[in-house]
Amino acid sequence: MKTVGSKKGTLLAIGLACGGVIASLPFVWMLLASFMTRGETLRRAFLPGDIQWGNYAKAWSEEDFGSYFENSLIIAALQVGGTLLFSLMAAYPLARMKFRGREVVFMIILATLMVPETVTMVPNFLTVSWLHHNSPFGWINNWPALTIPFMASAFTIFLLRQFMRGIPEELWDAAQIDGAGHLRFLFQIVLPMCRAPLLTVGMLTFISSWNALGWPLLVTNTPAWRPISVALLKFVSEAGAEVHLQMAGAVIATIPVLLLYALIQKEFTEGISMSGLKG
Amino acid sequence: MSVRASRLGCLAALGVFLGCGGGSAPSTRIDVDPDTVELHTTQPVELTFWYQHSRQREEALQELIAEFNGTNEHGIRVQGEYSGSYGDIYNKMMTGLQGGALPNVIVAYQNQAALYHEAEGLVDLNRYINSSRWGLTPAQRADYVASFIDQDRTADGAQIGLPPNRSLEIMYYNAEWLAELGYDKPPHTWAEFMRLCYLARDQPFSRSAHKERSLGFIFDWDASRLATSVFSRGGDLVQDGRYHFDSEQTRQSLEMMQQLITDKAAELMSGAYADQEEFAVGTSLFMIRSSSGLPFVRSAVEDGGLSFDWQVTAPPHAGDHPVLNVYGASLSVCRATPEQELASWLFLKWFTAPQQQARWVKASNYFPVRHSTARELKSYFEEFPRYKAVFDLLQYGKSEPNLAGYQVVRKKVEQAMVEVAQGADIEQVVRKLDRDANATLGQY
Amino acid sequence: MNKEHLTAWILLSPALLVLGVFGIFPIFYAFFVSLHAWRIRQGEVVGAVHYLQALGDPAYLGLAAVAAALIWLAWRWGHRPNAELAVTNKPQVTPGSRPGVWFVASLVLGASGFVVLAMALGGLAETGDLRLYNGFKITLFYVLGTVPAEIAISMVLAYLLFRAQRGKSVFRVLFFLPYVTPMIATAVVFRTVFSPHPSSMANRFWGWFGLENQRWLFEGRSVAALLLEGLGVGSYPDWVNDLFPSLALVSIILYNIWVYVGYNTVIMLAGLSAIPRHFFEAAAIDGASAIRSFIHVTLPLLSPTVFFLTLVGVIGTFKAFNHIYIMRTAGAQDSVDVLPVVIFDQIYQFHDAGYASALALILFAAILLLTVMQNRLLGKRVFYGD
Repeated sequence: MKTVGSKKGTLLAIGLACGGVIASLPFVWMLLASFMTRGETLRRAFLPGDIQWGNYAKAWSEEDFGSYFENSLIIAALQVGGTLLFSLMAAYPLARMKFRGREVVFMIILATLMVPETVTMVPNFLTVSWLHHNSPFGWINNWPALTIPFMASAFTIFLLRQFMRGIPEELWDAAQIDGAGHLRFLFQIVLPMCRAPLLTVGMLTFISSWNALGWPLLVTNTPAWRPISVALLKFVSEAGAEVHLQMAGAVIATIPVLLLYALIQKEFTEGISMSGLKG
Repeated sequence: MSVRASRLGCLAALGVFLGCGGGSAPSTRIDVDPDTVELHTTQPVELTFWYQHSRQREEALQELIAEFNGTNEHGIRVQGEYSGSYGDIYNKMMTGLQGGALPNVIVAYQNQAALYHEAEGLVDLNRYINSSRWGLTPAQRADYVASFIDQDRTADGAQIGLPPNRSLEIMYYNAEWLAELGYDKPPHTWAEFMRLCYLARDQPFSRSAHKERSLGFIFDWDASRLATSVFSRGGDLVQDGRYHFDSEQTRQSLEMMQQLITDKAAELMSGAYADQEEFAVGTSLFMIRSSSGLPFVRSAVEDGGLSFDWQVTAPPHAGDHPVLNVYGASLSVCRATPEQELASWLFLKWFTAPQQQARWVKASNYFPVRHSTARELKSYFEEFPRYKAVFDLLQYGKSEPNLAGYQVVRKKVEQAMVEVAQGADIEQVVRKLDRDANATLGQY
Repeated sequence: MNKEHLTAWILLSPALLVLGVFGIFPIFYAFFVSLHAWRIRQGEVVGAVHYLQALGDPAYLGLAAVAAALIWLAWRWGHRPNAELAVTNKPQVTPGSRPGVWFVASLVLGASGFVVLAMALGGLAETGDLRLYNGFKITLFYVLGTVPAEIAISMVLAYLLFRAQRGKSVFRVLFFLPYVTPMIATAVVFRTVFSPHPSSMANRFWGWFGLENQRWLFEGRSVAALLLEGLGVGSYPDWVNDLFPSLALVSIILYNIWVYVGYNTVIMLAGLSAIPRHFFEAAAIDGASAIRSFIHVTLPLLSPTVFFLTLVGVIGTFKAFNHIYIMRTAGAQDSVDVLPVVIFDQIYQFHDAGYASALALILFAAILLLTVMQNRLLGKRVFYGD
């Protein structure tokens, strides 16, 4: 790899630094505000005077954060697991198999992306209510309503399809010679090769599940299965917003996501080396 | 292809089925006479109650609910749940009305309740109020402040909600600063108000940390503020069942706003709650807001570090007595089994009884809806004179229009106010607003 | 059905089931609702009334279709000379030969197409629901303002982060923060940044250039109008306000680009990581400079990802709601009312589910059409594999 010249390098560094500052400013504000007293947030102070570690303890205990946190984790894990598995399975035929109606099926799957959420909420709620009354396990106020509707994602299927299309035909030929069928090829060869997009999509699905607010509010009536996004909502009441506590809660809510991202982004450092191919 | 086609066919069938099923959710039913309904402790009724309160108000509410559950003689059990904001509750109700479970008791504003009623989801409480066995005695009925309970009555006389509390739009003012400006009493007329705004602009609050920024007032574009201003001048937003924005009082209100902003003695709010925040740190002299903000101002002024002496009073007025904007959400009962409906009514009756009212308003800083609550609040009044000051103003309350589609009109008012604040021609804005508002009358 | 077909359908079935019930059924349901007078409860069947109310006189719709056909034909004719050259392999074009005639013809056709389109749009705006057409216009501004910028910036960032030597982990986290930070926090900050207050960050930044304070999120007038006013031009025709996005919308666009650049970058990075190393090595061996290697090696190999992000980006921005709704102010009037916001208002303010569903289906049809077009136009240019 060529190294960039020093002048270019400094310019680049400055550019990246500016970008970094712009990108992180609200997060920094959120962090600072979470350590302020309420008065300081009112006075729009830039830096907290004394660091109010107590805000975190207060936010956690006053709104039963622990249980909401747990709910969010379980819901996100189920959603991510389901999405990755089902989308992987669906992307493969769309990318690498020939069957009648393939492009139409793809279009239909894409079509699910095109409807605004405002419109899908009511019919989905009706479906979930019906399922609640007609299936052996409960849907409303329970994990099925919160996870199953999202266990397939056109976005994920589409992305994985793009990647799978780029896998050379020779690999499939070689696998066939070894006696493997589509299923073995998919799970033993294609799956490992799709690590980067799978991890990416897994993380993005995790984030969207973690931040979801409208749907969980609709399908839960008790705190039993409510996620953390609802808890954050409670800090803004008619009596005015308690910004310092809300921001502390928001920081707590953001940390798992950041941790996950930090863990995953290491996977993107190197490209996949395709030894044994171009020999 | 055939597999796909049959799949689509299934989905379409499901769609039609659900659509029809959803559309014909229970609505044709015979209204049972409550006098004939029995409640047995052997079959305790369980109720769900959706509200939007959080934090301290929720705690107080849960305490009251727990007490009801423990002390009522019928074994009724109420389960109260935070269900999001008013808008979120509306969302849940909307979908619930189309198929899915409805709660028993909800918090709803009048226009929302009107919609639920139109969809035949609510109970007309008149049957229960007038029931000889379970209802209110004439004395109790008269104890409710008439204008409050009337707000929850529809045009055809159905009582679709019972008010648990009300709030007034009042004027908060920085008494310390006022004294610095040489006045010991708040302004009673709008002319005095304007004069004081100019004084405040030129002489910042001595203890303000941001003396370069000093204003008399910060305007909010909420339609309720305009209503407050118009009511205080003796006007109204409606006349003979039609909107009447093309009035002298509306013009005066808007002119005052435009004048103060142009002269830099006031500003338009730059974001939600900005007026509260700036008042709390001594940047603005006056604030006009709901009385439900009392607890916030109390703690914010302290947290802001200044702890200045602040007081509340009625906003300036034109006539000999003030006219204030009174509003608040009410509790409504959703249609369910006769036992559940009766149990819900009993909960509402208990909750609005004077003893409970006193406890509720002390914790929530809302205002009670029953005259006799004053008896229970004697010591509270002594402890919190500001609260008493507002309580005495309840009799002057006037409410905003209850016409269908008022929500839409509110949005138009907001836009009009912003336009005026930004310098538009008031005559044009007012005429257009009047036209647009009355155009909604036919549609809803 | 042979074994391959069976395997394919088995693999597809779980996803199709979930998507079918929770993704496709709502479309049918919305269609069902749109055919009724439906406030909260189902009313009587009204057929296509909502659609006519929204779209306007069908005659104008027909006119718009004619205009579209004219423009498409003009485009085809305009490209004919190239096709001919490719086939006949003639390196030169002599003036006055057939390609020139086609070109002029295509120009004339195109111009007339646009005139017809303008007539059609004018008629539709008058007879149909202005909010719908305004919504389309604003949405278009929003999409055009957001997607190209996001793709370009994220491509550059991803490449830099992929190749950078030091500190890339830190920057990777930093650039992803906007997407990860809860919207309650980012919205508050950006509302403060773009507040009309003289001391807001946007106004201070503007002030450095000696320019006047602006109302930013509260400004409903178009950027073009503001430019003219800044240049001292007092009065201007209405279309200056109508044909350009408002300052409020531009502020929101900037907010959205800020939020989603990190998101796009992460996906681009995944795309870059999947490119086999030997391509980069081969280019380096061949002595290609960083820029040439980027244009001729990276870009084509990245094209499936770029195609994906463009398609998904357009779909996403067409139905974007949350970030726009939360920044909407009364001062912006209706200049930020993208279609999903119009639909939302229709449900929650006007309480008309029937009409809202019709609008939603119109939006859906528009996105579908746009996606199919994109697929046709750009899909061919995507380079898969070696």
